[in-house]
Amino acid sequence: MVLRLSNRACVLSGSARLKSTLSTYFDEMGKAGIILKSASTGIFENLALEDWIPDRVDLQNRSMLLLWRNSPVVVIGRHQNPWQECNLPLMRRLGIPLARRRSGGGTVFHDFGNINMTFFTSKKKYDRHRNLKVVTSALKALRPDLDVAATDRFDILLNGHYKISGTAAKLGRTSAYHHCTLLCSVDRSILSSVLKSNTSEVIKSNATPSVPSPVKNLLDVDPTLDSNTIMDAIASQYSNEFGFDSPVITVDPTHEGLMPGIHKMAQDLQTWEWIYGRTPKFSVCSSIVVDDVTIKLDMDIKNGAVGQCAMEIPENWLPSEMVNEFTSTLNGSNYCPNETAVLMAAFMRTVSMTADVAEKIHRLCAGVVSVM
Amino acid sequence: MALCTILRCASGSLTSSLPRLSNRNARTPAGLIARTCYKRGLSTTTRFCAALKFTDKHEWVRVDSGVATVGISNFAQEALGDVVYCGLPEVGTKLAQSDEFGALESVKAASELYSPLMGEVTDVNDALADNPGLVNKSCYKDGWLIKMTVSIPEELDGLMDEVAYERYIKSIED
Repeated sequence: MVLRLSNRACVLSGSARLKSTLSTYFDEMGKAGIILKSASTGIFENLALEDWIPDRVDLQNRSMLLLWRNSPVVVIGRHQNPWQECNLPLMRRLGIPLARRRSGGGTVFHDFGNINMTFFTSKKKYDRHRNLKVVTSALKALRPDLDVAATDRFDILLNGHYKISGTAAKLGRTSAYHHCTLLCSVDRSILSSVLKSNTSEVIKSNATPSVPSPVKNLLDVDPTLDSNTIMDAIASQYSNEFGFDSPVITVDPTHEGLMPGIHKMAQDLQTWEWIYGRTPKFSVCSSIVVDDVTIKLDMDIKNGAVGQCAMEIPENWLPSEMVNEFTSTLNGSNYCPNETAVLMAAFMRTVSMTADVAEKIHRLCAGVVSVM
Repeated sequence: MALCTILRCASGSLTSSLPRLSNRNARTPAGLIARTCYKRGLSTTTRFCAALKFTDKHEWVRVDSGVATVGISNFAQEALGDVVYCGLPEVGTKLAQSDEFGALESVKAASELYSPLMGEVTDVNDALADNPGLVNKSCYKDGWLIKMTVSIPEELDGLMDEVAYERYIKSIED
């Protein structure tokens, strides 16, 4: 079950005689502190691992640190509104997916230049300041002149000004996790363009907002600092800080045999209902201009679906019965450009209209979809 | 007569649980308390039904006429800090005891909420959408979270009363 790569690192792999799960393996290890590295760069697999560990591993007398990195993705907090937080059309064009995590907090952009750290403990031992001390101490051990410090908001600032790390946390039944990011060499131009919403002005919502901050990469101040070196330093400092003696274990979160139930957890995180449907109820109030005509669009979105849709369109541009049919088609549909486009195509096929009206409806559609 | 009163006033789910009550050994303290509660609680609101019960996850429950109101205790709201968002379920959601039904977000973390009872959500406190701080300011009254039906009244017997809860808090603080 365990392939030892060195004295300090090992990889868990499946075996034909494998009967135990990761949980029983930890119990057998008998260590009070364990450091894990995820072998996956998939956000949903890694978020599922964060769900699986508190659910299936006994954390009352054992703490864990998980180190992980993802391919490019935007991650929003549990109670956030993605339409308010990021540029969804741009993300679709760039092929950057959206994920919603189960902890609170704000929106972040991950790529391979960002390190994620999750500190798992019992609820009693939940201590974010101490966890962040592990990170800042590790960085200072590597480069004593580095000016990094944690704030009251649990950010880590570089040179007293640039945010290099943000924090979020989740408290469960008996255990807790605190996770944070660390900007090492993230693509900052993509970060700033995807984290800027194209529709926030038209949205009215009580979802938890992000607090935008100027950011910097550690690589910007020291080109010799790479992610692997930093991860090793953090692992080492974690053991020092908490008095643990643990090898760094690499786990593959797609291994259902080792982590029964993890596959379903990853699936649950990828559903439209979780990612978009969990958005707190909000309203969209927007003006679309089509053919020099200004159309006022009002929509209430609940559970990611259009609850009420109203449009103010001059009667001479489009007859009101047509407008009513159009808006009632949208009612109940998901606030999703693909789905809306399909609905609209069906609408145009089934409702009889002149070519002129069809052209207007087509452009109206494009305007509506542009806010999604 | 008393039985008729119970059947007329109780909610659907409560009525369906009555046969279970009568099948149980009425001589056990739990059986006695449950029967007394439902026989007396409908003509006058007795202290029994309206009293607060607590879970070890720091939620409170108060049952009035078969409807349970759920919130978090003062201990919990203090530990959480200022609540900035309440993530609550939809009306109609069916919950088993200990099911996660939402989360409260504060500076501290997103703290998950666990159902104290089995039942169906009948009402959600809409005032919390614009004023999540009610959970801190008035955790036992205006800061209530959800209302739900009570599928298994005996589950209430397993919860702590105020005195037991105070003892429990003292034990964890030490």
